[in-house]
Amino acid sequence: MKINPNIKIRDVVGEHIVVMPGEAQTDMTRVIALNDSALLLYNALAGRDFELEDAVRILTDEYEVSDDVARRDAKVLLDDMRKNNLLV
Amino acid sequence: MAEVRLEIAGLGILLTGTDSLQRALSLPGMAEFLAPDGETDLLFALDEPISLPRCRLLYQFDIADGCIQSRFGTDDEGSYYYAFGRHGLLRYNPCHPYRVDLSPMADPSVLRFALWSAVAMSGLPLGAVPVHSSVVVCNGRAVMCLGESGTGKSTHTRLWLENIGDTHLLNDDSPIVRYADGDVRVYGSPWSGKTHCYHQERYPIAGLLRLEQRPENTIRRLGTLEAFAALQPSCPPSLARDERCLDLLVQFISNVLQHVPAYRMGCLPNAEAALLSHDTLMP
Repeated sequence: MKINPNIKIRDVVGEHIVVMPGEAQTDMTRVIALNDSALLLYNALAGRDFELEDAVRILTDEYEVSDDVARRDAKVLLDDMRKNNLLV
Repeated sequence: MAEVRLEIAGLGILLTGTDSLQRALSLPGMAEFLAPDGETDLLFALDEPISLPRCRLLYQFDIADGCIQSRFGTDDEGSYYYAFGRHGLLRYNPCHPYRVDLSPMADPSVLRFALWSAVAMSGLPLGAVPVHSSVVVCNGRAVMCLGESGTGKSTHTRLWLENIGDTHLLNDDSPIVRYADGDVRVYGSPWSGKTHCYHQERYPIAGLLRLEQRPENTIRRLGTLEAFAALQPSCPPSLARDERCLDLLVQFISNVLQHVPAYRMGCLPNAEAALLSHDTLMP
C-alpha cells in the first residue's frame, strides 16, 4: 500500500488536517484531522510502498508499546486512513 | 477606455473598461464603494479580449438561480479561467490584472459575479476573502451568521435588529473578511444578496455563528477543527479546488481562527435565540 500522493497535510492553528475537495460538480469538501500517530505514519511512509509491519515498526520505535499493541493500533489507523482515501 | 477607483475591504481597486465598466457602475451597491482618491492595490481590466486555452476543469457551478452554467479551470501556465458560455470569460493570473471579457449581452448576474470573483481571487493573497454570511453590528463589533442556504442567517440577524439595541445590518450575503497585520476585520461589500445593504464600513468580529435549525436554542464554542469545518464551506468554493488557492485559503482561515471565536448554534426563529447568541458572544 501507499499514502495517497494527491493529499497534502496543512496546518490550522497547530492541528494537522487534510482538505479533500469533492468532485468538480459538487459543493462538498471533506476535512480530515490527523492525530499524532497518523501524522507519524504519514511523515514516515509518504512516497513509498509499505506493509503493515513497516507501520508497526514505526509505532514501536516511537512509543513504548509491545509489537502486539502496535500491530493492533496500526491496523486501526491504516483502516481509518484507507476509509478516508488517505491510502491507495 | 475609462477608469474608476473603488475601495472594497480596504483595497484600492482600479477598474478600466468601456461598456462593461458603465454597466458595472450601474449595478446595485457599486456606487457606495466609489473612492476616487487613493492607492491602487488591484487592477481589474473589463472589456479585454481573452482567448480560452486548454484547461483542467476544477469546478462547475450555476449562477443566476441555475440559469447560467459556469466552469472554473486552470491552464499549464498558472492562470485561472471562468467560462460562462456565450456570456463571456474571466481570467486571473496572480502576476497580471484580472481580466474580464464579457459579451455586451451578458446577463447582469455574470457581471456581478465577475467583480465578486475578481475580489475573491485577487484578494486572497492579500488576506481578503468574501464569506457567505449575514452580518449584524452591535456596539461597534460584528457577529457573522454562517450556514447553508435556508438555515436562517438573515432571520437571525433580523432578530438581533428587532430585539437588541444599538444594532445595524452590515451585509446580508457576502461581506469580506480581511486579515492584515495580526488583525481581523469584516467589511461591507457591494454584494448583499437580495437585501440592499451596502456599507463602506469595517468592524472587529466578536464571533462566527454557524447556524442550524433546531427545536430548541443551544449554543457552544467550537474547537479548532470544528471551527475550520464551520468557516471553510462559507468561503468561495473555487478557492478550495486548486492547490495554490487552498494553501492560501487554509492559511487565511487559520489566521482568522486565531483571533475570532466560532460557535455552533441550534436555533428557533425567535427572540430568545437572538438574546442567547448576544449574551454568549457579547456578555
